[in-house]
Amino acid sequence: MSIEAVQTVKPSLVSVVDDDESVRESLPDLLREFGFAAEAFSSAEAFLASDFVDHTRCLILDIAMPGMSGPELQRELAQRRHAFPIVFITAHKDEAMRRHLLDHGAVECLFKPFNETALLAALHSALRVN
Amino acid sequence: MARGEAMDVEHRMRRFDGVYRWFHTRVEPFRDEAGNIVRWYGLLTDIDEQRRVEDALRQREQQLSSAMQIATVAQLSASIAHEISQPLSGILTNASTCLRMLAADPPNVEGAIETARRTIRDANRASDVITRLRALFARKEGMTEPVDLNETARAVMAMLHNQLQRNRILARAELCEDLPRVFGDRVQLEQVILNLLLNALEAMNGVDERPKQLLVKTEREEGDRVRLTVQDAGTGFDDSALDKLFDAFYTTKSGGMGVGLAVSRSIIENHHGQLWATPNQQGPGAAFSFSLPHLPDVNQMSATHVH
Repeated sequence: MSIEAVQTVKPSLVSVVDDDESVRESLPDLLREFGFAAEAFSSAEAFLASDFVDHTRCLILDIAMPGMSGPELQRELAQRRHAFPIVFITAHKDEAMRRHLLDHGAVECLFKPFNETALLAALHSALRVN
Repeated sequence: MARGEAMDVEHRMRRFDGVYRWFHTRVEPFRDEAGNIVRWYGLLTDIDEQRRVEDALRQREQQLSSAMQIATVAQLSASIAHEISQPLSGILTNASTCLRMLAADPPNVEGAIETARRTIRDANRASDVITRLRALFARKEGMTEPVDLNETARAVMAMLHNQLQRNRILARAELCEDLPRVFGDRVQLEQVILNLLLNALEAMNGVDERPKQLLVKTEREEGDRVRLTVQDAGTGFDDSALDKLFDAFYTTKSGGMGVGLAVSRSIIENHHGQLWATPNQQGPGAAFSFSLPHLPDVNQMSATHVH
């Protein structure tokens, strides 16, 4: 029996930015069950101001938020030379918007409610790209 | 001023350059120790911009509230979908997490309990959305009861008092004494009277050269009926418009939605009555009247009892 299991690989940090409280509460737990580390933020501004921007490997991002919107954060991060992949999530089912976001570099845009299969697929896509 | 009381008035005046603008005048008496009025102080404020803005806002409000009643199904569906998607998303995420936690070795029961709790909370959230929607669109069961049209007319006029004053409407009520009551939904009948009064107000909106006379009259009608009339001194209408007046969505108001008269007519007809319009015989303007069957007269009943 091994005495200890040394974790040699640090779990990748997935950051969640969404103004909806139930998303911030539920999504990180599921991400951790997937084997990721997770942090949640209620706004784009809060995320940008945090220490986690540099360590984020993938960002799950709400589209419509009071204050800076998801797409605005995407542009801001690009300007700051952050290259981590972005998976958008939204309750507004708008195919045109989804197309637009994918064309502008998003890995995926999931419509709420999304099941874990769709989420996992998006995350795998994202981290493969990275 | 004759009574020596302070007074506020909004009125139009011709400015030095010939332009008419809205002003607000406040006058207050200044009294000596004996209580005699020594002089009057007046303050004149140009409120024209403010009035324009208020009028524009009120118009928008009216348009919006009519429009909201007829909100498109598509827009409504999108809102509902959005409101319910959020808690559903939480439910799905939490339930997925729950299964994984229970499948772990050893199972994370604490965690699973927490996700189950959140799931219940999100389901309640979704349920609240539905409750709110139901409340929003519920057709409240109308209450029918004996209704005194005089009382109802007075109540509506009282409610509109400020608006009537602001628009310098000379409102007069000639209400028949001992008007027998009708049987119906008081709230709906209020709506009809309100609609007729607002239409009268609207019709006299542009009127400047004559007094804005508004008359609300109740009277008995042959055949055990009562009649309520709202007569204005406004722009009136010609015979060709008469046919269309009561059509839903017909309107002479720019940007208005014109459902008022059509709905009013259907309310009156549901009360076994009629609603109609007549141009004024003397002078400009029109009269809108509705007649309804009334409840048996108390007087009449005692009269029949006697013999």
